[in-house]
Amino acid sequence: MILRDALYVARRELLKFFRARTRLVVAVIQPLLWLGLMGNMMQGLAQNPFVERLLGTGSYLAFMTPGVLLMTVLFGGVFAGMSIVWDRRIGYLEKLLAAPISRAAIPLGKMLAAAVQGGFQGLLILLIATGLGVRFATGLPGALFALLVAMVFSFTLSGFSLALAVRFTSQETLMAVVNFFTMPLVFTSNALFPREAMPRWLAAVAQVNPVTHAVTPIRQVLLSGWDWLGMGPSLLVIGGLALLMLVVAGRSFGRATVE
Amino acid sequence: MEAVVVEDLVKVYRGGIRAVDGVSFSIAEQEVFGFLGPNGAGKSTTIKCVIGLLRPTSGRIRVFGVDVEKDPGIAKRTIGYAAQETAVDDQLTGWENLYLQGRFYRLSREEIRRRGEEVLRLFGLWERRNDLAQTYSGGMLKRLDIACALLHRPRLLFLDEPTLGLDVQTRKAIWDYIRKLREEQKMTIFLTTHYMEEADELCDRVAIIDRGRILALDRPGALKAALGGDLITLKFASADDRVPSLLSAIRALPGVRDLRSSPDGVHWIRVEQRGDRLIPELVQLALAHGVPVDSVRLKRPTLDDVYLHYTGREIREAASSREEHVRARILQRRVRR
Ligand SMILES: Nc1ncnc2c1ncn2[C@@H]1O[C@H](COP(=O)(O)OP(=O)(O)O)[C@@H](O)[C@H]1O
Ligand SMILES: [Mg+2]
Repeated sequence: MILRDALYVARRELLKFFRARTRLVVAVIQPLLWLGLMGNMMQGLAQNPFVERLLGTGSYLAFMTPGVLLMTVLFGGVFAGMSIVWDRRIGYLEKLLAAPISRAAIPLGKMLAAAVQGGFQGLLILLIATGLGVRFATGLPGALFALLVAMVFSFTLSGFSLALAVRFTSQETLMAVVNFFTMPLVFTSNALFPREAMPRWLAAVAQVNPVTHAVTPIRQVLLSGWDWLGMGPSLLVIGGLALLMLVVAGRSFGRATVE
Repeated sequence: MEAVVVEDLVKVYRGGIRAVDGVSFSIAEQEVFGFLGPNGAGKSTTIKCVIGLLRPTSGRIRVFGVDVEKDPGIAKRTIGYAAQETAVDDQLTGWENLYLQGRFYRLSREEIRRRGEEVLRLFGLWERRNDLAQTYSGGMLKRLDIACALLHRPRLLFLDEPTLGLDVQTRKAIWDYIRKLREEQKMTIFLTTHYMEEADELCDRVAIIDRGRILALDRPGALKAALGGDLITLKFASADDRVPSLLSAIRALPGVRDLRSSPDGVHWIRVEQRGDRLIPELVQLALAHGVPVDSVRLKRPTLDDVYLHYTGREIREAASSREEHVRARILQRRVRR
């Protein structure tokens, strides 16, 4: 029942997502800029054999593709919270709370929608990367695996932003709070910079940063090959966080009133 | 069974505002019950407590005998709610809004298709159903919102200021729908308003609420009658010696409370209610006595008079029109985005 309710909450988000053309165009252009520009800019650096060893590849573009994938999903996922603030503004939240649906279906639906959106954006990024010459060492299954991780991560982050968002009534405040988390999350992870090259304190931070745990398995299947034992801990962290955020977001809505 | 029973409801908001301050009332099944009061009186807060959107600070609420706090699910399915702020997602089409609403109320695709068409036709929105709601006018949005609230055929419908900020024509149309619902669907309706005519036109019983308290509660007619009822001013064409016997006959009519006459032949008759119904009788009686009537005039106390009587001031129309203005601006801004 809760899943059924959640699917209709998700349907609403997705109807709007795929209807907003401008947003879709931006969703394509942004990774194109990142990959095309940054990948090209940094390419000279990756020619250096020492750097090449640190990156695990001679192509910075290949190195940063998982990073860009996760970053895009991260910024997209935290936007889920915006929708709840908006819903509160236009009274739709009240309408949802007055309906006989399970309250937890509201965040769950929005999180599912965020996962689909993340998967869609991830697909765009992988297509662009492929066009720029990046190839998965594990082929198509590896790419699908990468998308799955991206979707789970998007699910998790949307849960985080939703749990925050039920407490805020202004999008500006939420935006500020969310940015406070997202930017450091990216820059203290191995998304754009190899952990091996970080100063020790930063490497320690990166080690506990969830973004790192999402990036690492994707980078593994893209650059080298399947290594379930090596990826296991990171995958457990990512999966565990997803469940945790589901519970946190669900609970925060259980208590929500329109006060 | 009573549709709604509220006992000693108190709601204090977090900031310390005592929005509802000990309100008790009950609504019979198939009754149209109205809350009449100025902005900030606590009307919306009361509704939100009754449908379980807000936790009451104290008091007891039962909907069809079920305690709302203990068992919100059951109450929710029997309730339809159109909030004061139209809660339409304007980035969706009218039909999509309706469809999702139906799904949230667990209707099947087939039911939604059938009833959806029915309500959209009823509200004159069928032709526009596939347009984005952002292209709708304020009146259309309001109608769509009420249509959504009706889709699952609630036994009990809550309409919070259903005609706020609408033009006279749309307002009249919505009144017609409300009457129709009550007659055809046997729905129990709880509406709030700060328009006197609206309460008068639609409600079986009206509670006058101000500053979180109910000041009076009765049928609109009785509320007005309590102020002294209708006043009929009667003048005969000639001062006739048959007049005194006519006057005592009038005094004996049912519903007549008081009759006074001025020396120059003007007579004032106080009637409990429906003075308009009494006028034909008066004229006939006069003719039967052979006294020609010169003129009859009826003055009825309005709910305005009632309101003034109970609160000691005019309903705060100035404040409300400002609020409507602001709301219209918000609506415009939403449309532009
Ligand atoms: N969410 C809220 N938080 C704090 N105070 C509120 C809230 N909503 C309404 N109030 C206050 O409660 C009082 C009653 O408001 P409301 O029930 O909306 O009145 P009405 O619907 O009769 O205009 C007002 O003084 C209003 O400012
Ligand atoms: Mg109100």
